[in-house]
Amino acid sequence: MQPERNLQTDDWESLLAAANAGDSRSYQRFLLAVTPVLRGIVRARGHGLGDANCEDVVQDVLLAIHLKRHTWTAGAPVRPWLYAITRYKVIDAFRARGRRIDLPIEDFSADLVADAGPDPTEAADMAKLIGMLGDRSATIVRMIGINGATVAETGQTLGMTEGAVRVALHRALKALAALRERHVE
Amino acid sequence: MKTDTLIRALAADAKVDHGPALFLVGGLVAAFGLCLGLLWLLLGIRADLDQAMTNPLSIMRFLLSGSLMLVAGRLCMVVARPEGARLAQLWPLTGIAAATLGALIWAGYFTPTEAWQMAIVGKTAVNCLIAIPLLSLIPVALILVALRQGATTVPGLAACLAGLCGGGLAAMVYALHCTEDSPLFYVTWYGLAIAVVTLITTFLGARLLRW
Repeated sequence: MQPERNLQTDDWESLLAAANAGDSRSYQRFLLAVTPVLRGIVRARGHGLGDANCEDVVQDVLLAIHLKRHTWTAGAPVRPWLYAITRYKVIDAFRARGRRIDLPIEDFSADLVADAGPDPTEAADMAKLIGMLGDRSATIVRMIGINGATVAETGQTLGMTEGAVRVALHRALKALAALRERHVE
Repeated sequence: MKTDTLIRALAADAKVDHGPALFLVGGLVAAFGLCLGLLWLLLGIRADLDQAMTNPLSIMRFLLSGSLMLVAGRLCMVVARPEGARLAQLWPLTGIAAATLGALIWAGYFTPTEAWQMAIVGKTAVNCLIAIPLLSLIPVALILVALRQGATTVPGLAACLAGLCGGGLAAMVYALHCTEDSPLFYVTWYGLAIAVVTLITTFLGARLLRW
């Protein structure tokens, strides 16, 4: 992981622009920078859901941001885009848990990071969903995420080319979002 | 699973999908070509097209349906973005509605009252009500595919705009075949056909465009 000290000062627009151009280090910094903000919003709204459940929602939002990052227009401000996705996914997640919430857009301008508290423990849903993927897809996601393996290392272990691992990873993440959608319905 | 773990997996996936704009423009061009081909093969283009193009009332059909297609298509592109719901300006659609109403009033004024009924009913209302919705299947399907590449936060509105855009395209193409030049006819029947297409698309698309 990158050192935390950069996260608040980095400019989200240039990080996401670099990310969309294929720079995965900038992308990781971007995701690490927005996560506390997302967590703050979800926790401020999700009283009584519990930290682990809230973290499930945060992870839903992160996956959505990931799969829809091409809809951000380079040069446009990131925050309205990010908050629109967050709002949509948070409302969806709470609805799926049988709770209706009211999420006025003005709330997003408030700086909620301070209330976010410490990094939570495990969230359960995503691990369950990964278990529902095919064996090889699940292995790829786990190796890269949990073990911190690179794409090249993963390819060597599984006897796949780097290109094949990249494609498989992309498909696996899309499949996760689709599984989540079916879960939610 | 810890969130940092997920972030590591996400960051490793460098594949960025294409935006919806490319699909939308490509889809509309393809749909226009396909619809034109189908119309030419199955119904034929009216023989007196060159003459009709000197009649302002006949030209109005192309202008109204074409501007509906363009304005609704442009709005599709805006609402395909997550933050687009707040940026979309719907008033140009009311401008088109006003122009349509204007054409209707104009034609009503210049048509003798006793001829109204014949002008409205025309001879080919049923053809129009079948052909326009069928032709619109092609553009509507392609627009919905393009919108799924986006990330709309207002699926109902996006689907409704897809219906208007696809219906407008179908009506514009069908107008090349149809010989009924009175606004009393085409505002009524083209309008009804586009309304049906929009209603069905809104209903089905609202679910399809959720993500």
